[in-house]
Amino acid sequence: MDLLSNLSLAFSVIFQPNNLLFCFIGCVIGTLIGVLPGIGPVATISLLLPSTFRMSPVSGIIMLAGIYYGAMYGGSITSILVNIPGESASVVTCLDGYQMARQGRAGPALGISAFGSFIAGTVATILIMLVAPPLAMIALKFGPPEYFSLMFLGLTLLIYLASGSMMKALMMACVGIFLGTIGTDTISGIERFTYRSYTLMDGIGLIPVIMGLFGISEVLLNIDEASKQEIYKTRISNLLPTLRDWKDSVLSIIRGTFIGFFLGILPGGGATIASFGAYAVEKRVSKHPEKFGSGAIEGVAAPESANNAASQASFIPLLTLGIPANVVMAILLGALMIYNIKPGPLLIKNHPDLFWGVVGSMYIGNVMLLILNIPLIGIWVKILKVPYPILFPLILLFCLIGVYSVNNNMVEIVIMLIFGIVGYLLKKFKYEAAPLILAFVLSPLIEIALRQSLLMSHGSFSIFFTRPISLILMAVAILLLVLPLIPGLKRPPKTEEDIS
Amino acid sequence: MKRHDQMSSLVWLAFAIYICIASSRLSFGSFHNPGPGFLPLLVGLLLGIFSIVVILQATLSGKPQENIPPWYPRERWKKLIWVLVALFAYAICLETLGFLISTFLLLVFLFHSGMEPKRWVVAIGGSAIASFSSYAVFELWLRTQLPKGILGF
Repeated sequence: MDLLSNLSLAFSVIFQPNNLLFCFIGCVIGTLIGVLPGIGPVATISLLLPSTFRMSPVSGIIMLAGIYYGAMYGGSITSILVNIPGESASVVTCLDGYQMARQGRAGPALGISAFGSFIAGTVATILIMLVAPPLAMIALKFGPPEYFSLMFLGLTLLIYLASGSMMKALMMACVGIFLGTIGTDTISGIERFTYRSYTLMDGIGLIPVIMGLFGISEVLLNIDEASKQEIYKTRISNLLPTLRDWKDSVLSIIRGTFIGFFLGILPGGGATIASFGAYAVEKRVSKHPEKFGSGAIEGVAAPESANNAASQASFIPLLTLGIPANVVMAILLGALMIYNIKPGPLLIKNHPDLFWGVVGSMYIGNVMLLILNIPLIGIWVKILKVPYPILFPLILLFCLIGVYSVNNNMVEIVIMLIFGIVGYLLKKFKYEAAPLILAFVLSPLIEIALRQSLLMSHGSFSIFFTRPISLILMAVAILLLVLPLIPGLKRPPKTEEDIS
Repeated sequence: MKRHDQMSSLVWLAFAIYICIASSRLSFGSFHNPGPGFLPLLVGLLLGIFSIVVILQATLSGKPQENIPPWYPRERWKKLIWVLVALFAYAICLETLGFLISTFLLLVFLFHSGMEPKRWVVAIGGSAIASFSSYAVFELWLRTQLPKGILGF
């Protein structure tokens, strides 16, 4: 009965005309930036964040969520047609999707990825409805030590799953935490590392840092590398997969959905890891693994379902625990705080319209995306042809306006540009920016939880290991940190080379 | 990667030393009641340790130098520097010149001498359209307060 009343609340929120409109705008923008290489969901969401301040929080989050899962649909289009992933969660789709396109089967590849995403999105929405409320109930029992351990685990997972050196990922997390301490200390009110700058007194803003690290640096890298892209010239026909295609891929879609959902819930997990995981599993269970990499439809269906399920599941830790699972969720956490909504276990209880409205919008959003992607595929292919030399000044302009409009402060533009250069150098030297951002966002929360825990325990770190929930979280985190040191154990594959 | 790791970790080590020195000026407090300098000092120390480990790993790994591309862009570095100079100039001039003029000038520069030079007509026309339409959307429609500048628009 509870579920039914929640469902009706969800639909009453999403069917308000303005929420429908913003859900639609989010889906369109998401598909658009998914199609355009060189700008991903992270940069876009941070770009558009300031424009949501005038909306209601519900509409704002609905739109930003739409951008995120919309990008998962759009990203597959470029992977299949151009062999360039529109964003990182579609990297693995290139392997078989592009091969299918070369064999003249671009239509079924695009079709199955849209249908797979739709099925996965629908299932994920239902699972969120079932899983999230009980999880929030458990989280109500959390005290500062549990929160500290949970955030520690989240960071550790992201570090463990980092694609490069784990040591470097640890360094990035340290830098992120340090950057987060800049500004006025919330407990003592003492200024830290501000050098009397008014801008720094409130801390370094999340938006300039993210836009610098993910927006500006991406443009700088593209100027530097200037990839020439060629669209595979093929007539896209028969978008509807045949009965045989369905038979081949229906189990892959189901497996992909569940793998994606569970990897998406984990803090530190997310769409990219889910898509690689699903691909690896498909290859292992397949009766003809040799076909993978040369146009197997399972190799498109599974990762595309997984990334969509994961992108939706990653809302669970944010909305129930207040812990962002990945960078996009970190930005949304920042958004919630700006809207003056305290994320955490009480969010579902205090703001039911926000939680159920966002969940409901995911379902409607998936229907919209299916319509946007199947009949209107031709439009997106045309947009793919916009050359980057024309695109990049406009991306830069959006970053500049976006950052300036948050506080009308030009110092923040300078901060963004500095982080743009830093992000460029990090990529060149093979450091990952994701642990840095997650640590940066979590830093104030981690610090408060740590200092409160130590106050509670009179200075003993054993408090994290004597309370049962905290002990389990800590044990998993420490296991993850120690595992790579054991010889013979390899970390799971994350990169294209690892998979093939 | 060897040289790159040594270089970059040295920079991080220097940064770690800065964090430690700067945070030791703040009150560390005690484990019973940690002060504002507690966490920064902790992560500063950790960052220092990790960067030393990476330096050691890179130095001790006996792998021969692989053929890796240099970290700076070889052919396009001039373009990259110019784009950055233009962006910093934009940040500095924005409040004096106002949004419309500075955006127009920035875009003309980026279109005309960006990645692939466009003809003047295209650059000026495109910049005019882009700056006016963004002005319309952000200032007139969304009411973002873009800087007016000395000329008042």
